Amino acid sequence: MASDKKARRIAVISGKGGVGKTVITANLASALASSGQRVLVLDADLGLANLDIILGLDPKRTIQDIFQGNCRPDDALIKTAKGFDLLPAGSGLQENTVLSKNLAEKMEALLSDLEERYDIILFDAGAGVGEVVLFFAALAHRILVVVTPEPTSLMDAYASIKVLKQLYKRNEFLLVVNQANPKHPDQIGTSVTKHLQSVISKFVDVGTSPPVFLQLIGSLPQDPAIPRSVRNRQLLSETQPPAASVCFVNTMAECLRRTMI
Amino acid sequence: MRKKRIKLGPINGNSPDDRKQYDLTAALRILRHAGREDPQLYTNDSEKQIQNVIDALCDLSVHDGMTGLVNATFFHVVLAREIERSLRTGKTCGLMVLDIDYFKKINDTYGHTVGDRVIQSVAANIMQNLRSMDTTARIGGEEFAVILPECTPEDAIHAATRIHTALNPLLINIDGHDLRVTSSVGLVWTELSHSLSSGALLSEADREMYRAKHSGRARLCHPPLESTMITQQERSSLMALLNEENTHGK
Repeated sequence: MASDKKARRIAVISGKGGVGKTVITANLASALASSGQRVLVLDADLGLANLDIILGLDPKRTIQDIFQGNCRPDDALIKTAKGFDLLPAGSGLQENTVLSKNLAEKMEALLSDLEERYDIILFDAGAGVGEVVLFFAALAHRILVVVTPEPTSLMDAYASIKVLKQLYKRNEFLLVVNQANPKHPDQIGTSVTKHLQSVISKFVDVGTSPPVFLQLIGSLPQDPAIPRSVRNRQLLSETQPPAASVCFVNTMAECLRRTMI
Repeated sequence: MRKKRIKLGPINGNSPDDRKQYDLTAALRILRHAGREDPQLYTNDSEKQIQNVIDALCDLSVHDGMTGLVNATFFHVVLAREIERSLRTGKTCGLMVLDIDYFKKINDTYGHTVGDRVIQSVAANIMQNLRSMDTTARIGGEEFAVILPECTPEDAIHAATRIHTALNPLLINIDGHDLRVTSSVGLVWTELSHSLSSGALLSEADREMYRAKHSGRARLCHPPLESTMITQQERSSLMALLNEENTHGK
């Protein structure tokens, strides 16, 4: 059904690589689609894209083909069996690690072409605080930061939040705590959020207003089914036996959906 | 070697009026040579005419003929003034240096006329992406500088990113040649804690620009931003909270 409402854009970032950003993006997209949302996932890790691998897909066309005029957006768009659409990106493309006027303008034009067809567009951004990651974060209505309780992940997430606050005046961040202790994942999520928030309040918020606000949308416990699902190129909802962490993803998706209203 | 003398207008006497007429004729000749002889310079009011000519000469002396941007001489005057103002007002001032990549190759391949048009296109694009208070100068053959007054380092990075993104790449069609031109950009800003001369600040900006060249060209380089750097104190605070959590066995 055609709608004049434009999609809400969410950039999924992490600071540190390897914290489960792509796995969470794919599983969140599926859970959001199951709840009736029209979801597009855009692989925004333009230099080293791998969402298609996680999803067991073998795309023939990518965002780069659209930008080079080799195909139309609909030719590259994949309607996945998981209920959401995917715009895959190429891998090993060093030129896409630098933000150019060409890239920025084409990406903005592509999004404005597609945003009326969807309720939510998720950007699976790369690691770090490079210019392409910051570009997608700046384009997004909401920024979702994936962290693990590891010191390196927390430090990098903190640094990413600080850069986005100082350079882009962003002060609202959604948080997902991955690889939480399975005995009490929600407690770990709350505790990590509280700690990050307190250090941000002490150092980043000084002399600037409004203050940074972190909103925890959920925790994902350590679960052997997660690496297994990645190896089998499946989503958590597709694993056999069903992964216990699926309910955490669904709760996260519901919380995210409510924040977008 | 005998110096070639410019032939000036006729002098019929040595009175002050004759002298004034002599200067005016010489000034008009300079403006004519520079292609700046505007019919509006001439009026029946001789005082007004002299003022018009002085204004036109001043304009000529501070601008670069090819691009219309401020020239290198006046750039240093403006930069020195802005550095002083920055210290007085406590507001940092940004300085950007921009150099067209592989410009010699463009000149060698397509000739100087095309090279000049590339310089003009880059200059026009920089101008389109600036605030009215910023000053852009052509400070060398294919080198430009932009002064960003009353600009926080964060705002300077935004401005430089906007210009860098607009210029990389710049697609120019000149006489049927499709050129893809890129530029390397270096950015620095004044430090309120210590004063630097305009020459020293320009050297720092140059150093950042060369860093951009050496890291692959078409890049923007600037010093680390203090406000986004993680201090030892922040690191310790974050780690202390984690340790506390581990100690409590959570």
